[in-house]
Amino acid sequence: MSPRPDRGARERILQAAVRRIAREGIDGVRIARIAMDAGVSSSLVHYHFDSREALLAEALEYSYHHAADARIDTDEPASGSRAARLQTMLDQCLPTTPALEQDWVLWVELWLRAVRHPELRPVAEELYARLIAWFADEIEAGVRSGEFARCDPQEVADRTVALLDGFGIRVLIGDGAVPLDRARRAVAASLARDLGLGESLEPLRGLEASQALNIPRLDTGRGAA
Amino acid sequence: MSPRPKVDHLRKPQIVEAAAEVLYERGLFDTRIGDVAERAGTSSPTILYYFESKDRLLEEAVEFADRSFYERLTGAQNQFEHAGDKLVHLIEETSRGPGGLNDYTLWMEIWVRARREQRVRNAYFRLDRRQRELIAEIVREGQESGEFRADADPDDFALMLSGLMDGLGVQVTLGQPDVSSKRMVDRCLALASAELGCDLHPSRPAGRTRVARS
Repeated sequence: MSPRPDRGARERILQAAVRRIAREGIDGVRIARIAMDAGVSSSLVHYHFDSREALLAEALEYSYHHAADARIDTDEPASGSRAARLQTMLDQCLPTTPALEQDWVLWVELWLRAVRHPELRPVAEELYARLIAWFADEIEAGVRSGEFARCDPQEVADRTVALLDGFGIRVLIGDGAVPLDRARRAVAASLARDLGLGESLEPLRGLEASQALNIPRLDTGRGAA
Repeated sequence: MSPRPKVDHLRKPQIVEAAAEVLYERGLFDTRIGDVAERAGTSSPTILYYFESKDRLLEEAVEFADRSFYERLTGAQNQFEHAGDKLVHLIEETSRGPGGLNDYTLWMEIWVRARREQRVRNAYFRLDRRQRELIAEIVREGQESGEFRADADPDDFALMLSGLMDGLGVQVTLGQPDVSSKRMVDRCLALASAELGCDLHPSRPAGRTRVARS
């Protein structure tokens, strides 16, 4: 016994956990299955993660970082317009790729789990704060450079993140009335209006940017698992 | 075998109501049929006679919670003359904080489950559509009376407002520090005012709202 912590094992456990939780849910997932997928013993999984809450929180963190490796770093000097970058950011927050879809499932699992396990609420809080700051920084930079109309970046970012959640959940579940494209356009239009850009965030250039970042377009059929 | 309850019409609604409460408190995964039976004052076989699975119970429970919400809502809406007041009322009722069957807990159960179960997914689509249709109807009414901008698309607006309410509703239900139910109302009203070209304000505790065409 007394499993030795090693980095590779922890990483493999998290990879396996993300896949299993996305497929089976945090409630139903068997720790033994995750251990099997990761090629480690169940006791090692328990050693690293002493509760389902801890496992979910870490799996989500792991997935967040890996779902969009190409997530834009807002500190980098802007290549292309800020509006195009915002469009790319929106795409990275909707279930546009299989990896992001998996990330989304975990996100929704976190909401539900956090209702009954308050110890998870700070995790949600942290993720919300990070996302909102990500958008707010980009918007603020655009306002400063004069590309965007003056607005309250925090307020606009808050609303954008809430809209992304509301639309993302419909895309995720596969509502035929709300395909990915409609969701993209609707959230982008709302953001564009606030920034004084009319009705869209330069859709063409946004699309090019997402292709440049290697974001494959999703087949937007049903979101069935 | 096969219990033939004689009081169908009485017992089923009681079971659904009990199921809604238990599911709200414990979640689908941790709910046992026996828990629901106990709450409803009946037996597990009786419950299984009406509902073949927990998913069916969830579906009906959310349908029940949603229907009671809309009955209450539409009942109260009749007192309002203006479409703007109706919209404010709908937003305020949807933005109530956590701690009632109508916060977002049961919706989250549905969302998590809908990806895995076709029937639950269909139930979600049906309920979601009902909400959007109600919003779109209020918008059309306001457009006819000249309160709202005529060129706003009622269905697009309904989807937008509904999306925003869901996104914020999750945060309110999770008790996110920056999102109180008051802020949720303010943000939804700001969106509605901008999209519909009007000026909506929260109703005062006493009740009435003022709507001014901008």
